[in-house]
Amino acid sequence: MKKSFVGLVVAGALLASVVAGCSNKPNAEELKKLEDLKAEVASLEKAVSAKESEKAALQKAIADKAGQLTQCEKDKALVQERVKGM
Amino acid sequence: MKFFSRLSLITVLLVASLAVVMAQEMTKDEWQKQMTEYTAKQADLKSKLNTLQGEIDALKKQDADKAAALKKCNDELMALVGADAASDRAFAAQLDQIDAKINELSKLSNQDLWARKSELDDVQKMLDAVKKNKLSALPKYYDRIKEQQNRLDALRKTVDNVQMSMTYTVGTWAKDRDCLWNIAKKPKIYDNAFLWPKIWQGNRDQIKNPDVIKKGQVLKIPAKADLTKEEKAAVRSYWQRKQSAAPAGK
Repeated sequence: MKKSFVGLVVAGALLASVVAGCSNKPNAEELKKLEDLKAEVASLEKAVSAKESEKAALQKAIADKAGQLTQCEKDKALVQERVKGM
Repeated sequence: MKFFSRLSLITVLLVASLAVVMAQEMTKDEWQKQMTEYTAKQADLKSKLNTLQGEIDALKKQDADKAAALKKCNDELMALVGADAASDRAFAAQLDQIDAKINELSKLSNQDLWARKSELDDVQKMLDAVKKNKLSALPKYYDRIKEQQNRLDALRKTVDNVQMSMTYTVGTWAKDRDCLWNIAKKPKIYDNAFLWPKIWQGNRDQIKNPDVIKKGQVLKIPAKADLTKEEKAAVRSYWQRKQSAAPAGK
């Protein structure tokens, strides 16, 4: 009884150590590779966000200038008319 | 027996802690899964970044083109009025000067404004001069000049109203040296003694002889202006009467 119990315990311990030792885990180098990849993705996300802001600012600047240009053309026509009457 | 129970307890703990550690640590499959996921994300973001950069470059060009077109339009606008940056600044300074003068006159009481009404003419002259300048046709100045003219007209109206209600109460000769000549000479009346016939003709109902005015008489003061034909004729007849009334030989 005792022997079988000891055998059971030893077998359990052996099984546990085998499971732990032979499990399929990434090594340190692989883990670092993943971490570096995650960091690069985070940095890219920031860069994309910055570029989107830059794009929006440029679109606004262009729209403003387009408005000013339209106004300028109107002003030109108006001034031409006024100058003729002077 | 005790030994075995302890050993079994230790083994159970060992297996349990091992299971916990294994549960916490990433498996190779999970690592691979995350690597695949993040690599795809990386590629997607890089592609997005490239697309955005291309769009930004195109937008920068568009922005530069619009800026150039706007500059060209503004240059053409200035060419239409024959102005450059320096004359534009000088013109704006002239308008500032007119604004300052109108502001100064606007702060005066009605009586003080009336006394300085000749300055309204000076401002009008300045305003007329800027209106003749082609720069006044520019929208940024056009409305401003219009507004200045409106304010000046309002001041003139105030002066006219003051003028309409302007009266002078005659004092004594001894104290005030009041006669029509001296009253007309007062800065707050006409500031010009030769306009005395205006007061006389404007108060014919109460002044029969311009040499005689009485203390306490309230005289209407007509608007300052050159003498009319009638007023000049009245002066002539006044002097003729005076000459004919003078003793012979004088």
